Amino acid sequence: MIPLLAQAANPIIRWEYFIDEWDQIRRALVEHLELTLYAVALGLIVSAGLSAIALRYRWTIAPINGFTAFLYTIPSVALFGILVPYFGLSRLTAVLPLAAYTLLILVTNIVAGFNSVSPEVREAANGMGMSPTRRVLHVELPLAMPYIIAGLRIAVVSTVGLVTVAAIIGQGGLGRLILDGLRRTFWTPMTIGASLSILLALVLDAVILFGGRWLTPWAQRGRSAL
Amino acid sequence: MTVIAQAAVPRDVGVFEWLFDPDSWAGTDGILSSLADTVILCAIVVVVATITMVPLASWLAHTRRGEVSVSWLVTLSRAIPTFAVAGLLVPISLRSGWGFEPWPIFIALLLLALPPIFLNTYTAIQQVDPGAVDAARAMGYSETEVLFRVELALATSVILAGVRVAAVTVVATEPIRAFLGGDGLGRYVRDGLGQNNDGLVIAGAILIAGLAGLTALSFRSVERFALPDGVRRLATTATR
Repeated sequence: MIPLLAQAANPIIRWEYFIDEWDQIRRALVEHLELTLYAVALGLIVSAGLSAIALRYRWTIAPINGFTAFLYTIPSVALFGILVPYFGLSRLTAVLPLAAYTLLILVTNIVAGFNSVSPEVREAANGMGMSPTRRVLHVELPLAMPYIIAGLRIAVVSTVGLVTVAAIIGQGGLGRLILDGLRRTFWTPMTIGASLSILLALVLDAVILFGGRWLTPWAQRGRSAL
Repeated sequence: MTVIAQAAVPRDVGVFEWLFDPDSWAGTDGILSSLADTVILCAIVVVVATITMVPLASWLAHTRRGEVSVSWLVTLSRAIPTFAVAGLLVPISLRSGWGFEPWPIFIALLLLALPPIFLNTYTAIQQVDPGAVDAARAMGYSETEVLFRVELALATSVILAGVRVAAVTVVATEPIRAFLGGDGLGRYVRDGLGQNNDGLVIAGAILIAGLAGLTALSFRSVERFALPDGVRRLATTATR
């Protein structure tokens, strides 16, 4: 147990820390943001491919869903751990599991978004002589956008939370501040790391929400497929 | 932090040799004892979440109170940063004299378990065929009887599915406890990373993933066997 005296000198947060250790906090924040963006970008690319397959060949929907659901249930500590012998304590070891966890929600929402496009709209686009590529990009994608954005919000917010766990393999941005504080039983970095990661999730969620409204001015509100 | 005993695994022993060696499982420092740590904490979390959320959600849904936004709750349940929440709670817990463990991780896991159980119970009861409820009322069932013998009976499978989702999520997340000053099944990954011992990391990861898979499987079989035929037909149309 920590002596009482040390506790008195170890408040939950010490505000000078923000100024003294600003460099370290800023680096952790940037790393957190980068890990989130890489993971979600990779997740989005893979999900787009999987969704395209699922929409083109309907029978693949069930296996693709099963596969992404299976990935989602793998415990994060286990997935980070299993990749360490192959990729070391590298950024890749952190990004691959994080991206894998986004697939379930992203594929579900992308497929639901394209399924929500009514057949009449599709036929009208065909009747106007649009090529399939043009129809998908200019008619179906915009109509599917509210669903995709709703999925993206969940993916980003949960990834920001999971990035902290990547601290156990030496990555993890703000999560490293949490672990560091814990190892030294010094609460200030812990509190800062934890609060900033929650704050970052809220900020990114708001950014996507308003970005999405700007992208889809005709839609009232983003809907989730789940 | 320093009081935690490190799991000792000779480096030259293979992952599976270690996993299948009875000596690794036995003793106060063995796998079985870590497994028990994890299972007990997770069981308490899921039981507490179930006995609080099922009555609350069924009452709210039965009386049509508190029209919850389902999509908002789904978002919330996926967005809870367990590691950060537990990290925030550790200093508070220590300063209150509750120690490193297990309160912070307990509360963080509980937050994770509440939404799926609440959500499934609420939507399941809300979606019970109004015809069945009216018929029960017309047969002279009291409100309590309607809730227990019609609504809850018809909602059982979906509620159980919610408990399963909660249990699997909790079991899958619990290993972070080993990095927050506790033990449990996550200790092997922690110690393996600390000792730069890949075999131990992989063995630990297999144990964690195995327990999560086993939890999902056992819940699914309970869901299947616990249901009467009529409800089982309904269950096939339910989500998740």
